[in-house]
Amino acid sequence: MSDLPSAAPFALPTDPRVRQTKRQRMGVAEERFAWLMISPSLLVLLLVGTLPLAALIAMGLYRIDLIGYRPDGFAGLENYRDMVRDDRFWASVWTMLVYTFTSVFFQLVIGLALAMALFRPLKGQGILRVALLLPMILAPVAVGLTWRTLILTPDYGIIDAFLQMFGLGPYPWLTHPTLALVSVILIHTWQWTPFAFLVFTASLHAMPTEPFEAALIDGAGGWQRFRDITLPLLRPVIVVVIILRTMIAFRAFDAIYSATGGGPGTATEILNLYAYRISFTSLSLGYGAALGTVLLLITLMISWLVFRLRQHNQ
Amino acid sequence: MTEARRSQRSIVDIATYTLLIAAIFIWSVPVLWVVMTSLKPRMLIFNSPPTILFLPTFSNYIEALETGGIVKSIINSTIISVFSTLLAVIVAVPAAYAYSRLRFRMRTPLTFYTLLMQMAPPMGLLIPFYFALSKLGLLDTYVGLITIYLTITIPFSIWLLITYFAEIPPELEEAAKIDGATRFQAFLQVVMPLARGGIAVTTIFAFINAWNDFLYAVVLSGPNTQPTTVAIFGFLAAEESRWGPFTATAVMAMGPVVAIALVAQKHIVHGLSLGGVKG
Repeated sequence: MSDLPSAAPFALPTDPRVRQTKRQRMGVAEERFAWLMISPSLLVLLLVGTLPLAALIAMGLYRIDLIGYRPDGFAGLENYRDMVRDDRFWASVWTMLVYTFTSVFFQLVIGLALAMALFRPLKGQGILRVALLLPMILAPVAVGLTWRTLILTPDYGIIDAFLQMFGLGPYPWLTHPTLALVSVILIHTWQWTPFAFLVFTASLHAMPTEPFEAALIDGAGGWQRFRDITLPLLRPVIVVVIILRTMIAFRAFDAIYSATGGGPGTATEILNLYAYRISFTSLSLGYGAALGTVLLLITLMISWLVFRLRQHNQ
Repeated sequence: MTEARRSQRSIVDIATYTLLIAAIFIWSVPVLWVVMTSLKPRMLIFNSPPTILFLPTFSNYIEALETGGIVKSIINSTIISVFSTLLAVIVAVPAAYAYSRLRFRMRTPLTFYTLLMQMAPPMGLLIPFYFALSKLGLLDTYVGLITIYLTITIPFSIWLLITYFAEIPPELEEAAKIDGATRFQAFLQVVMPLARGGIAVTTIFAFINAWNDFLYAVVLSGPNTQPTTVAIFGFLAAEESRWGPFTATAVMAMGPVVAIALVAQKHIVHGLSLGGVKG
């Protein structure tokens, strides 16, 4: 495996010195020591992670309405039957897919283009690094609130103030259904494109120089070098970034909730927000748990993909 | 020929620097704008076009502090984040070492299990947590919040630490073992000192992730344990147009995280390309 700065899940040790073949006798002492070392974390994770997730799946089979007239009790697959007929559920899945794929696409394209364009000795790289680091370490809720007020408020926000110089606007950034979806995608892209940029820059630095020198001698142009050398070499990193960012986008909640609250209407209501509203606004914990179970299934599929990829890389 | 080349070069230079400045601008202006607004006198905040030059004032900070809850929320965030980070790092360090170095049955499935836990949907954990904590009377308590934050901090820390442990050459432990050290001694006395940097970065990341959470906190906290993220949100929920005190609160709430990040920026950038923070 190459020395790429892949995300942690992809970088389990591949050091042959640590590896032993199965034929070699496994040390009983080592086995016992390993279990001693992992058991505290396993115990905690089982208790605070696995147990709640099992409870989630179970709750999805019950009717638990903390407010409302229907009596609570075992409901079998009723929640899931309701879900299939629930237009708002399907709409939230669709919104989630649009939100995820567009924002991941833009993060990837902008991040890669910037990394390529700025990959040479430049003054001011240090300032750029700080500027790119800040969005990523800020709480998404603070970012969402800032965009909702200082940046996207019609007339008074900086985007409209900027556009007014060209005689444009004001625009109802967060109150028009389509524009609101564009806005929350923009916010997510703003906050996380720096991640893609940093990862791509790091892997460009780790690239071997020989293929490029050879290509230059052969007279290959800039675009040709990019397409035939850089892109294939970057492929594993691109896949890592896509999966990681997809996973994060599926989990998005704070920034959307604070910028639009899922609105106007349900225009920016991704599945996460819908499950939240059902569980903690309508207090239908049973149906909310069923929606949570769907989210869990999606996560399982992505994790499996990540894991397969990691093993493939090894 | 060389003349043409040189002028072509300088055009590329100009274009690259324009792009660099534009990128710095796009990513730093929103952040700087928050800081600037927090220092603006109230009457200037809604000027259109916006006022750039003004005499800074701390009146927004005073107003934010008087509204109450901010100082308390910073204390709450500190308590919750520090404990969930420390507990996580304590159990994650030995586990990560085992996953990266030791050979044992179930290693692969358990590694996958840790990954699953890291990716588990927050909403899927929150619903049963809310149900259980409300039954146990543990809503709005530090214990409840610290417990659910462990689901973020532990798997994340294990994954990040695995990569740091993998960078330490195994020969050193082998040598210690030949010198008669037990496995545990080798881990404690040889590996741990070398892993200090990685452990520090992991601690910082876990802390930031816990500090920045909003979803768990907005459901499971209350007046007694409300952290800063919920406090900032409440500020605007009450009154949409209080931009001055809102930005002042945001600066105070994010200040600790930004300070840590600026001090450790090189390590954080490296860690980010390894593991990435939760979004």
